[in-house]
Amino acid sequence: MFSRWNWVACGFYLVLSICSPDVSGGLVQSCGHIIPESPVLALGSNFTALCILNESCLDFGNIYASQIIWKIKNRLVPKEQYREINRTVSSVTFNDTSSLDTPLTCNILADGQIEQNIYGITVTVGLAPEKPKNLSCIVHQQSRFTYAMTCTWNPGRHTFLDTQFRLRYRWPEQIFPDCIPKDVNNSCTIDDSQFFVNTEIWVEATNALGKAESDPLVVDPIDIVKPLPPQNVSITSALLPTVLQLCWENWISDAVMTLKFNIRYRIVGDTNWMEVPPEDTASPRTSFSIQGLRPYTEYVFSIRCMKEDGAGYWSDWSEEKTGITTEDQPSKGPPIWRIIDTSQLPACWTVHLIWKALKPYEANGVILQYELTVRDKSSLSSPVKKYNVTSTNHTLQLQEGTYEVTLIARNSVGPSPPSVLLIPASNSKAPVKNLRTLPKHDKLWVGWTAPNNYVLKYVIEWCLMSSSSDCIIEWQIALGDVQGIDLKGIKPFKCYLITVYPLYADGQGSGQSVKAYLKQDRPSKGPTVQTKKVGKAEAVLTWNHLTVEEQNGFIRNYTILYKTIDGNETVVTVDPSKTEYTLSSLTSDTLYTVRMMASTDNGSRTGPDFTFTTQKFGKGEIEAIVVPVCLAFLLIVLLGVLFCFNKRDLIKKHIWPIVPDPSKSNIAQWSPQVPAKHNISSKEQMYPEGSFTDVSVVEIEADDKKSFSEQDLKPFDLLKKEKSTSEGHSSGIGGSSCMSSPRQSVSDSDEGETTQNTSSTVQYSTVVLNGYRDQTPVQVFSRSESTQPLLDSEERSEDHAGGVDSTPQRQQYFRQNGGQDETNTDRPCFERTKQITHANEGDLVGFVQLQISGQSSQPLGLGMEKNTQEAAVSNVLQTCTEGQTVRPETVEENPLSVDEMPKSYLPQTVRQGGYMPQ
Amino acid sequence: MAAAESPSAALRRRDLCSRGIRLAGKMRADVVDLLDAYVEQQGLDASVSVAAVEGVPLAAVERWDEQTGTQRLLENLAAYRAFRALLAQMLEEQREQLGEADAGLGRALAAVLLQVSAFAYHLEELLRLESRGIPGDEGDEEEEDGPPPPPRLSLFEQKLRGLGVLRELAQWAVRSVRDLRQLAKPSPATGTAPGLAESP
Repeated sequence: MFSRWNWVACGFYLVLSICSPDVSGGLVQSCGHIIPESPVLALGSNFTALCILNESCLDFGNIYASQIIWKIKNRLVPKEQYREINRTVSSVTFNDTSSLDTPLTCNILADGQIEQNIYGITVTVGLAPEKPKNLSCIVHQQSRFTYAMTCTWNPGRHTFLDTQFRLRYRWPEQIFPDCIPKDVNNSCTIDDSQFFVNTEIWVEATNALGKAESDPLVVDPIDIVKPLPPQNVSITSALLPTVLQLCWENWISDAVMTLKFNIRYRIVGDTNWMEVPPEDTASPRTSFSIQGLRPYTEYVFSIRCMKEDGAGYWSDWSEEKTGITTEDQPSKGPPIWRIIDTSQLPACWTVHLIWKALKPYEANGVILQYELTVRDKSSLSSPVKKYNVTSTNHTLQLQEGTYEVTLIARNSVGPSPPSVLLIPASNSKAPVKNLRTLPKHDKLWVGWTAPNNYVLKYVIEWCLMSSSSDCIIEWQIALGDVQGIDLKGIKPFKCYLITVYPLYADGQGSGQSVKAYLKQDRPSKGPTVQTKKVGKAEAVLTWNHLTVEEQNGFIRNYTILYKTIDGNETVVTVDPSKTEYTLSSLTSDTLYTVRMMASTDNGSRTGPDFTFTTQKFGKGEIEAIVVPVCLAFLLIVLLGVLFCFNKRDLIKKHIWPIVPDPSKSNIAQWSPQVPAKHNISSKEQMYPEGSFTDVSVVEIEADDKKSFSEQDLKPFDLLKKEKSTSEGHSSGIGGSSCMSSPRQSVSDSDEGETTQNTSSTVQYSTVVLNGYRDQTPVQVFSRSESTQPLLDSEERSEDHAGGVDSTPQRQQYFRQNGGQDETNTDRPCFERTKQITHANEGDLVGFVQLQISGQSSQPLGLGMEKNTQEAAVSNVLQTCTEGQTVRPETVEENPLSVDEMPKSYLPQTVRQGGYMPQ
Repeated sequence: MAAAESPSAALRRRDLCSRGIRLAGKMRADVVDLLDAYVEQQGLDASVSVAAVEGVPLAAVERWDEQTGTQRLLENLAAYRAFRALLAQMLEEQREQLGEADAGLGRALAAVLLQVSAFAYHLEELLRLESRGIPGDEGDEEEEDGPPPPPRLSLFEQKLRGLGVLRELAQWAVRSVRDLRQLAKPSPATGTAPGLAESP
């Protein structure tokens, strides 16, 4: 029982003692403490801590050193690092303090299980300061009398501890207050440094783990001064145009420090500084005259200083001041060139003289005017012309010739040396050779090989080529001993035309030109291609050249790319000089897509697509088909026409059968008393009944004949002249022995009329009359074998009786004779010829000759002679006989000769008194 | 002075002389500037005549050219030690009078005081090179022996004394330059008096 209460009391006491930090003054007392208290440890060193238990706790709480456990933060320290020194002291050892952390606590396990904290310490781990290194000092002049010395050093490694740096300095017998840096650990500034005494300067670094000092720096601060730059710098012009005087004030009196200087200057706008030789300004001074400057040029000056012996530092450069030199005469004449326009008149030049304004360093002032002198060298008597010009160009109208142009630029001080340009009548001298270009960054180098002769200088012209505007010429003059220059201001991707002229002492060489690009790019657009002509298997493509603005470089080639819709693309490369190309081996009636690509050295650009369809038929194919078809058609038509022509009678017969008009038959006028039985008999004898196969029979009423008056017949007679065909029809009743057609009978009847004085005979149709003038009509008439001479003899007797009136009578009774008179003219003859043409072509000549033979006493246009008429008639008869196709057998059956025919015809009988027609 | 001066000692001596000369020159320039500021700040007339400052040997001396180098150094050292004490007193009085109101004048006084101290150090070094013993500082001795308190002066008297101190210091600066130039000259008998041509 006692024992139990004892343990409870002990535990309570232990808790109280642990919770009480103050042993002496508090209600409770700590049971132990750790030595050392809050140590600062060097990183990497070993460390041993002791936990010492109070004796009072030992007896009351039964706690001993063997129960102590050590912890770093909440991490238990391995017991291997513990050591029980005695029953109240336990130590822990750390070989490397880098493993330490804070807090380090000493704890006990009360009753073997309850962990109670006895004490804890804060452990700080860090490094001792390193020795500061690289101490250096500089004295900055802050005003005329104040100098601040700033020293810097390398503080060394980080110590992880609060480390104090202080800059210390002293004289041998005087120690100054330390300079303690603010916010930094590597520099400090001493405001009142004193010169001319060697001052020992060093840096001291201190922290909880130690102190370190830098090596001392012994220096007279005057030797490390960086003075203020000279002030109040001013520039005044000297008498000479190449000199300016620079004045300034120094911040430091010579008593303190003598100075040397640096003076630099540059032209306004230029970035490059020039410097006065240092040896010229190595002594104390407050002014300096800068020589060798350009006249009428604005300069910027700046100056700095340092201790004369070179100890210390250069001051900053002073503020920049500008000054301008005075004017001087122009140092050279303006470069001059000309452009000659000969387009107006061949012998008259428009000379544009152009020159460049002198550069500022050449003009040496403001150019007031240019004095231009033109002398005609080809005519010594010509006066020298002088012009005062304020611009940089002048245009003259000169006759073609050789001129010497002199140009002088003048400023307020004086004139420039003259520039002379010789304008020869012709540029006949040798040109430069091997003109070439080469891009160099942003410049274009133009090179050439000099001619063999000595060249005074070269003129290089160049201009930006444009398709929309004229080439604006820029130019530059190069000395004669150079063979290449750099052209500036050349734009990339632009085409320039560069021309080089060599200028000789006695003339000028012809210009050599070259096109060049500073930089090439691919064309800005591709060519637009289209078809000029599309065939079955070929297409002629055409395109326009890209404009010079679009080219962006030299077009090396064109590439034509074409394909069908589903086919592979075909590529063709074309020479860049061409604007047309023929695609061949195309598929007919196929849609093609074609586009064109222009290529420079730096790339290509493709133009828009163009589609076309090849034709289905090639050139001439349609013609080859159509023309033969047409020709065949025409041939067929022609053959048809010929056939129809040949068969016209047959066709005519079938289509338009000949219907004789009885009203026009002259036979109706015949006398009904014509018995001619004997004729009939004789005719029957001569022509058996069976031989008449084609006889037209016209029945004419005797009363009808009464209506035929002479007046009625007259117009008929006139009409017969024009329409002998119809007359023929009417007169051809009954046909003929020669031809069965009525027309043939007409011919026969005419023939009968015209051959009344000949022995030829014509068969007349036999007319069957019903009656005439109350006469008993003859019922049947066979074909009449009478001939015209019978009628003629009757008429002749009437003519003898009637005199002049015989003609109307004849027309009345025998109308076919109406054309008798007219047969003496040519016209009826041709009319007949027309009629004959309806017959067989082969009969034509025969009929004509027949007519001639019937008109033996009449002159004929055919030119036939009388002595040949009989022979002709015989021929005609023969021909006629031969040409009869209808009834050839008739002639064959009566192969009578011309001499025999009269014997077999009635008219011969009538002559002998046998036949009397009415 | 040692008859056979080592090269390093000669170099050191020349260096000290050179620095001393330039320090004296700067000190004179600063003192002249300080005089102007002091007269203006203290409300004094620049043309006022001031009696010789007690305890400071006069810069002007008869037979200056007959003095030896050591003698010159000793006189200079005595003068600058006196100036150091006087300037320190002036600086103290200045701070008492003006506090921090005119820090510029105080800084200028402090700078001159430092220069005086530095020049005194130069002189002591030169004397060491002369192998001569350096006399003890009277001011220090007085401090050690318990010097009598300086007579209490009125404010105006303090100003006039300050003006006198600065004027005399300016005079001494000029003389010191000449003295050191004499010393800097390489002569076989450094201790002998310089020629008349070298007299100030």
